[in-house]
Amino acid sequence: MHKDDPKPLCFALAGNPNAGKTTIFNNLTGARQKVSNWPGVTVEKKEGIVSHKGQDIKIVDLPGTYSLTPYSIEEITARDFILQDRPDVVINIIDSANLERSLYLALQILELAQPTIFVLNMADVARNKGIKIDDRILSDLLKLPVIFTVGNKNKGVDLILDTAVEEAAAFAKGKTSRNVTYSREIEECITTLEKALLDNFEPSASSPGRWNAIKLLENDPLVKDKFTELSPKKAALLFELADTCIRRIDDLFQDDIDIILTDDRYGFIEGILKEAATTSDRKRVDVSRNIDLVLTDRFLGIPIFLFFIWAMFQATFTLGAYPMDMIDSGVMLVSNFLDQSIPPSLIKKLILDGIIAGIGSVIIFLPNILILFFCIALFEDTGYMARAAFLMDRVMHTAGLHGKSFIPMLMGFGCNVPAIIATKTLESRKDRILTILMTPFMSCSARLPVYIILAGTFFTRHAGTVIFGLYFCGILAAILTGQLLRRTLLRGEDAPFVMELPPYRIPMMKSLLIHMWDRSKMFLKKMGGVILIGAIIIWTLSNFPRDVNYSTDFDRQIQTLETRIQTPQPPENQQEKPEADLTRTLKALQRQKAQERVSQSFIGMIGKGMAPIFAPIGIDWQSSVALLSGLVAKEIVVSTLGVLHGVDNDEPEALKEALQKSGMTPLSALSMMVFVLLYIPCIATVITIWKETSKRWAIFNFLYTTTVAWCASFLVYQTGMIFTTMG
Amino acid sequence: MINNHEQEKKQFKRLFSHLGIDEFDRRFQVLEAFLKLEKHVTGSDIDLQLKEDGIILDQDFIDQSMELLCRFGFASRMEFDHGPPRYEHRHLGLHHDHMICTKCGTILEFRDESLETHQIEVTRAYGFHMLQHKMEIYGICADCMKKRSPLVSLDKAKQGEQLIIRQIEAGRNLQMRVTSMGIRTGDRIEVVSAQAGGQVVIAAGENRLIIGKGMSQKIMVEPHDSAALHTAPEGAAPFKLRQTRLSDMKAGQEGIISKVSGKGTLRRRLLEMGINRGTRVYVEKYAPLRDPIELVIKGYHISLRVEEASHILVEDVNIAQRRS
Repeated sequence: MHKDDPKPLCFALAGNPNAGKTTIFNNLTGARQKVSNWPGVTVEKKEGIVSHKGQDIKIVDLPGTYSLTPYSIEEITARDFILQDRPDVVINIIDSANLERSLYLALQILELAQPTIFVLNMADVARNKGIKIDDRILSDLLKLPVIFTVGNKNKGVDLILDTAVEEAAAFAKGKTSRNVTYSREIEECITTLEKALLDNFEPSASSPGRWNAIKLLENDPLVKDKFTELSPKKAALLFELADTCIRRIDDLFQDDIDIILTDDRYGFIEGILKEAATTSDRKRVDVSRNIDLVLTDRFLGIPIFLFFIWAMFQATFTLGAYPMDMIDSGVMLVSNFLDQSIPPSLIKKLILDGIIAGIGSVIIFLPNILILFFCIALFEDTGYMARAAFLMDRVMHTAGLHGKSFIPMLMGFGCNVPAIIATKTLESRKDRILTILMTPFMSCSARLPVYIILAGTFFTRHAGTVIFGLYFCGILAAILTGQLLRRTLLRGEDAPFVMELPPYRIPMMKSLLIHMWDRSKMFLKKMGGVILIGAIIIWTLSNFPRDVNYSTDFDRQIQTLETRIQTPQPPENQQEKPEADLTRTLKALQRQKAQERVSQSFIGMIGKGMAPIFAPIGIDWQSSVALLSGLVAKEIVVSTLGVLHGVDNDEPEALKEALQKSGMTPLSALSMMVFVLLYIPCIATVITIWKETSKRWAIFNFLYTTTVAWCASFLVYQTGMIFTTMG
Repeated sequence: MINNHEQEKKQFKRLFSHLGIDEFDRRFQVLEAFLKLEKHVTGSDIDLQLKEDGIILDQDFIDQSMELLCRFGFASRMEFDHGPPRYEHRHLGLHHDHMICTKCGTILEFRDESLETHQIEVTRAYGFHMLQHKMEIYGICADCMKKRSPLVSLDKAKQGEQLIIRQIEAGRNLQMRVTSMGIRTGDRIEVVSAQAGGQVVIAAGENRLIIGKGMSQKIMVEPHDSAALHTAPEGAAPFKLRQTRLSDMKAGQEGIISKVSGKGTLRRRLLEMGINRGTRVYVEKYAPLRDPIELVIKGYHISLRVEEASHILVEDVNIAQRRS
């Protein structure tokens, strides 16, 4: 079929999660891989090109699944790819130590009638478990090539491509594999339906006939929709026929067809195993079980889990601090260099204050993000992630979430963006959306500087308690949000928790690094662009219009001061006007100028315009401008406050003083902190939500968080006001 | 019949206009549609007939009108096997009984004079005065019987059934193995016990044999003629294993799954993961907060929520704690 086709061969890797698919993919393709999303869904798609004996072969890594039902995005994606893109060979990666369950998916893949080879991976683990598999018998029984590999030792991986190429050629000559034989009655139904399909529909639509017939018996909504679309009339007749068959089988076996089909498949598998595999039983040491005796122990399990999480955060923030400083000084270096080499102009200001500052604000998080994703990859690749979900599910379930949501939620305390990307580990879309919408209420580290300044100024003695209370409020808001959404927009039965606890494995450094880099790259690519635009917008808003009516002529005063500083002073005058004094006056002048400029800029106008909205929650216009600028990144809130109150950012004490003088009360400070905690995290987060879910959810999140923030602040401020007036 | 229908319509007009029942015209349309249809019709069948005649009426209205028709003796209402209510023409003075096929749902009308007279005799013997009676016989109609394959695979057999082996559908290897166990086609066997979906214990002559699931699927048997009349020996209560919900099992217990219920997605997921009938399950542990439960199935570890595990029934194999 493809013999003379100039198109490169295309092989698809399929298999269960934890079968070592990714390792084999990495071994086959090396670093030459492309990660993207499958069109229309947020399931990771990995592709790579290998050159094999002078031939280019495209390899696609299908999502890991246990079956091919139409009830999860991953499974639909996998089967649609095999059916529509018709890869030349499906390479089915099978966990040898878990043959029985793996064959369930394998047999369903065979029903798709594409050339398939079986790769029995982790052959060494199986051997240690006392499982002996006879590849020749297995190969004879199913009429397809079977090979052994040890993925993490790169054994037998070369053989995969050779065998696959051969199999593709054999199929082109008319070879077929064997399929599951169901009970006689079911086989009769399949034959009837297959015939009806052939009689009524084009072969292109109805093939593979056997598969479509089985899907009709399984009442597969997607397959049914496909036929209805082609011809509603013929489809209706077909469904009627299928219904008769289903009823007949139901009646004959006194059981649901689902159960009968699964029973038959597992029965068939049992038959194969009896022939092809022997298990020499007993008294092997199950290392994983022993590890789990400690790690999921009734008493030790949760403390150990919390310790791991603590260690992860320690690593992220303490280890991450060193490269962060380096990056920071690097950015400073570049910015200083540009400062000197570009003549002063508006463009220079844009480059320095807008673009460099914008890029700097993203890149500074890179070390944190790399470390965080490395830890997550470590948890996933060792198999600990499933245990974490096992331990925490009871807790998370009260908020309507899956146990696996715990880690993304926790990561939210670090930074919301990677936390949202980390929800990729969740299988159910509903769980993902819910977790994503709850995560922004986890108080990220960028919000901390705001709390430190405000709480430190107004609640000096109880600052710690207040900050702790804020974090707690965030968690509470998240839980309430979860409960609310579960009952309204994301209603419906919970996704089943049914989750494999894979054996612990020693992770491979290569895999960990690829994993980490893939996700971090996504962060950089998406965020870099958006943050940049956001930074430029905020910069423009705060720098225009240019014709500011300053109260005095700052420029001239600054100029004279600057020349005074630069011109060497005659020695007799030195005591009168020390240079340090001059510099201080100069800085004060510059600050005053910036203060006036910002207050008259667009952002100042917007802030003033929005004052009526913020008045009921006790936030003055300076603070509302700061909150607006916080959309880019919450750290900016503090620096904007500094600019607006005319103090230098390097002197937090001065800002505290200025804030106290500005008429802010402890109550309005508290109200503002609550607002900072709950309102839109930052543009980067909103964009991530958009990318990971949809535009609608991003907008929803934007509106929802703002509303919640305003209401909560209103409640705090007004209740506080009542108490103050009473007291 | 036609005359009969004309007469019914006349009576309807007389009765209904006499009683001054509302919406007379539309109710008359319902009657007409109903009379056009023969056999046992449901409310929606009547709706279809009306639509064919270009009349669209509310389904509630139709149902309500049919109730009225029943009340005045134009139709009689019956429910077969929990299905939707069905209506048939009630021709006064005529009586018949029903046979209902549980497979295809066909309803046959029959009338047997000797049965009718016999019923009166029976009731009279009890000093019972019969006002009316209804007889519904459930079974399989001739057409369905023809289609029915008399052969079933052994794994579908019920405990206590007497069977004759008709075919062994297997490759040569398995054929040999089965024969070497002393099972041949034409042998008469009895099912001693059958665990749902699991192994079957059979008695072939003096021999007791255990047949695994894979093999039992391939042995085709035919119920022995005497099976329908066969009764268990007096006093010998059928051998039955105790069933527990998986969620009620303690850590360290082991059992064999006998039933998986629960809602669609969950059940499908459980089945796919290998939690199906006949599978051995070992309860490894409960999570520290007592919720998810960790199981060992088909040689791998899996966790379920306790609520999900409550949909799974397990036959106890050992209750003794297997200390690890």
